[in-house]
Amino acid sequence: MKPFQFISATNPGDAVARLTKNPEAAFLGGGTNLLDLMKEHVSLPNEIIDIGNLSLKEIKATATGFHLGALAKNTETANHPLIRKHLPLLSKAILAGASAQIRNMATNGGNLLQRTRCSYFYDISMPCNKRVPGSGCAALEGFNRMHAIFGWSEQCVAVYPSDMAIALSALNATVKVKTSVAERLIPFKDFHLLPGNHPEKDNSLAHGELITGIEIPNNSLAAHSAYVKVRDRNSYAFALVSVAAGLSLNGNLIQSAHLAMGGVAHKPWRALQAEDFLKGKPATIANFTKAAELEMASAKALPNNRFKIEMGRKTLINALQLAFKG
Amino acid sequence: MENSTKSIGKGIDRIDGILKITGKATYATDYPAKNMAYAVLFKSTIAAGQITKIDSTEAEKYPGVIKVITHENAPRLNTKGGLRGGALLQGPEIIFHGQHIGIVVAETFEQATAAAHLIKVEYNQKAEKTNFEKLAETPTMPKGKELADQVRGAGKSAMKTAEVTVEELYETPIEHHHPMEPHATMAMWEGDKLTLYNGSQIINGAQTAAAATLNMKPEQVRIISPFIGGGFGSKGGQWANLVLTAVAAKMVNRPVKLALTRQQMFNSVGLRQRNMQKLSIGATKEGKLVALAHEIISHTAINDEYIEPCGDCTKIMYDVPNSLITYRVVPMNIILPTYTRGPGKSTGSFALESAMDELAYKLKMDPIELRIKNEPPKDPSNGKPWSSRTTVKCLQEGAKAFGWDKRKAEPGTNKIGDDLIGYGVACGTYPARQRDSSAIIKLTLKNKVVHAKVEIAASDLGTGTNTILAQTAADGLGLPVNQITVKLGDSDLPPAAGSVGSVGASSFANAVNDACIKITDELLAKSGKQFFVRPTAAQLMISESFTDFQTRSDSKAPAEAEKYSAHSFNANFAEVRVNSITGMVKVTRFLAVTGAGKILNPKTARSQIIGGNVWGIGMALTEESVIDPRYGNFATRSFADYHVPTNLDIGNLDAMFINEEDLIPNKMGVKGIGEVGIVGVAAAVANAVFNATGKRVRSLPITPDKLL
Ligand SMILES: Cc1cc2nc3c(=O)[nH]c(=O)nc-3n(C[C@H](O)[C@H](O)[C@H](O)COP(=O)(O)OP(=O)(O)OC[C@H]3O[C@@H](n4cnc5c(N)ncnc54)[C@H](O)[C@@H]3O)c2cc1C
Ligand code: SF4
Repeated sequence: MKPFQFISATNPGDAVARLTKNPEAAFLGGGTNLLDLMKEHVSLPNEIIDIGNLSLKEIKATATGFHLGALAKNTETANHPLIRKHLPLLSKAILAGASAQIRNMATNGGNLLQRTRCSYFYDISMPCNKRVPGSGCAALEGFNRMHAIFGWSEQCVAVYPSDMAIALSALNATVKVKTSVAERLIPFKDFHLLPGNHPEKDNSLAHGELITGIEIPNNSLAAHSAYVKVRDRNSYAFALVSVAAGLSLNGNLIQSAHLAMGGVAHKPWRALQAEDFLKGKPATIANFTKAAELEMASAKALPNNRFKIEMGRKTLINALQLAFKG
Repeated sequence: MENSTKSIGKGIDRIDGILKITGKATYATDYPAKNMAYAVLFKSTIAAGQITKIDSTEAEKYPGVIKVITHENAPRLNTKGGLRGGALLQGPEIIFHGQHIGIVVAETFEQATAAAHLIKVEYNQKAEKTNFEKLAETPTMPKGKELADQVRGAGKSAMKTAEVTVEELYETPIEHHHPMEPHATMAMWEGDKLTLYNGSQIINGAQTAAAATLNMKPEQVRIISPFIGGGFGSKGGQWANLVLTAVAAKMVNRPVKLALTRQQMFNSVGLRQRNMQKLSIGATKEGKLVALAHEIISHTAINDEYIEPCGDCTKIMYDVPNSLITYRVVPMNIILPTYTRGPGKSTGSFALESAMDELAYKLKMDPIELRIKNEPPKDPSNGKPWSSRTTVKCLQEGAKAFGWDKRKAEPGTNKIGDDLIGYGVACGTYPARQRDSSAIIKLTLKNKVVHAKVEIAASDLGTGTNTILAQTAADGLGLPVNQITVKLGDSDLPPAAGSVGSVGASSFANAVNDACIKITDELLAKSGKQFFVRPTAAQLMISESFTDFQTRSDSKAPAEAEKYSAHSFNANFAEVRVNSITGMVKVTRFLAVTGAGKILNPKTARSQIIGGNVWGIGMALTEESVIDPRYGNFATRSFADYHVPTNLDIGNLDAMFINEEDLIPNKMGVKGIGEVGIVGVAAAVANAVFNATGKRVRSLPITPDKLL
């Protein structure tokens, strides 16, 4: 670990000002990701700005939906009566992630910004374009069992590891951000990025910007949603594949399907082809299967993760069935 | 009356339990010292080649740094002193990725860590040998004599005469020990005397290896290791970090602490090697075995050989006239493999007991019946009689307790909702041995109360050695356990075997028991009296008003034991639930039935067995370390990638012991349970997965992708 200054921000404006001033500073949320990255010498901030005291911890209903404070803990969010009742998909997704201890520390903002678990990214003796742009991608022809099947580039094949964000993607959330001059809202689909030629950039946040909250619009998915996570052990493992599914139904007819996949891409993967196919169709196994096949048709496997295509297909069908059953 | 006062056989709580849960038990880095300095190791980032330049200028200038030690300034050591794995900073040669190449010593751990990152190393890289699959195509003969080809009868050629055959390849990956307490040492010099606080499974082994490596006499080196936070074999033989701590302490002339990080544990203290095992079984239609062959390929280090004896179970488990066991090896640029819980037997039994299961399905026979049908009347490997053999009992009593009759013989037919249920069984074994050990007993009488102190350079891995020795002494002296103090884990104490290879309990307990008999004899002689009923040592101390008395006894295995084949045996029963959509497996119930002679303390014994079961379940379902052959590094390098099983992976674990008296291997009839608890476990789980799904996974671990 590299020595660093430790400062507690007094208000959001102070936090943003301090971070903006120092290109080598970093915010500290729960620290469950940042500290690991510092111990591994992957992140080397010289100044830690603790935002733990900021009053961005509220979870509440708003006129148009729900607001999650950026600094509310994952555990609190998942167990909040409002969230359990109206956004069970989000609650389930959060509880499928990490361990109870980590969720107790992890903040909603920090969760969105957690970095990939690609082991080459963590191993500073390895080439990695995300860590050192231009150094190459060790995973492309290496051990890539956990890596992407959608949207990857030759520059980076990593996947984004959050479970919570998969549900937020399906729920059409918006990320609320404070910049040094204003506030801005970033729709979830634009928040995380595909790697393209700039895998060093995980998301569209600029240095100096603070996530203040997450907004989730009202929806009619609560009765018909499911989060299915396939992993190497029954708890405390990142997803091989996960699916967040929500169905808005009119009897047996699907008015709209909300489907996002985890463990398959550099960002939450909205299964748009499957969604389009299902719109207006009856909720039948045949249709679920067709939708899943359509979506997986564009997947491109790496040498060690071919299984994810079949696993993705099955998990999509499974999640749709479970969501339908309610 | 007599019985109720006995302590042996009672499941009493650990005598050091309170110390542990209150944080008062002292592990290696828990000892304070004035003027302590902190050392951090840094490691090679290539797998093969030579260091051409190490530039430590920046690091040396870093605040708090006292010294940087590399092969260029380290003292010359004896590399054949008995430490495992090399990496002693004796030259520029690199033979595996993550080899220690230097030490930074600083005022704080954080300073040493930060400075280590400033060191610039240049290499002359060589083509590395890191691709096991490729290298396994051209393996070589091992050097070890015990690993020569073992042929019985017509060997493998008898497969031709079989009516039913199974011939399959079984694979097990690299695994790590990862004890809760990472390897750590505190070194302190006083003149030419060295004290090393270091978790050591073999106290005297650590002492002699450290002394020899440092070109010192054993009596100049003292090892202190009263508590160990697990080891599983990795603290049996000692590794470079032990002596490098002493080197650092000498060079900075201060006490030094050196603790490996969890990350460094992956490539510093050995590992369980990857094995490819070809298992062939031939049988008659009635299920009588006619041929058995076990052909094994493993890897070892470039400069040293360690090979798990995967054929050991195969050698003795079944009655078969023709058999073959072969070992082949590939030297690779990977750290030296080492003893890892149930060495060879846990991985070997996965192949053997999976193949037996496959044979049972082919024969349409119950796998328990198949095993009983091939029960050997004597040890097939050497013709010696068994001192006792409990396999059949384990199978039968276990089947009853587990409800084996509820198993559906046809795979894939037991379904609840999306889940498939399966039952599996597999057997295991581990040798029972006693090794030379000495013990001193010191008795004192104060205010009419006798107190005993037991001294022995034994080790307690966390398994309960302290407790069982107190129980042994209590019964041997006629005292309650709370009047016994056990002192172990110090090389100044009488020499003893180690907590390795399941010899600990038998060697230590017999030494203490012998010392109790001897001290009672001596007290009797000293009293000069004749007694109608032999009094206990405690009674003699009081009746004769002896205030202090002590004796030492040196114990050996009985000569008679050599004429027999003595082993612990088990049968493992697993029930699994496999989600038919996701392929995720949960072990809902697991029962291990073990015949291990006298069980000194059923509570600590149960913990030992279920601990072994958990690791076996990890072996079956989750644990795997992957090497990237292009670099020779681990691509699984933290607990986020290297998965040990969690509570949710395992439901109910249960352990049963066969009531067995076998006094042949040693006077107390103690056979050892540390290793056998993991043997056969992975096969039982894999067999249950087959019963549940109809899918036979022959390459561990059984992750969801393999069951799609
Ligand atoms: C062993 C392990 C297993 C795990 N398993 C899972 C899993 O299965 N599923 C899963 O989803 N997650 C998993 N996690 C990840 C865990 O969910 C994240 O570490 C956690 O959500 C991060 O939140 P934090 O508040 O601790 O973030 P921090 O570590 O504090 O911060 C992460 C990053 O976000 C920045 N940041 C934090 N808050 C803000 C803000 N308000 N505005 C701007 N920037 C900010 C920080 O500067 C830092 O760069 C696991 C973690 C570990 C260690
Ligand atoms: S996949 Fe991405 S994170 Fe992993 S090594 Fe390649 S560039 Fe780095």
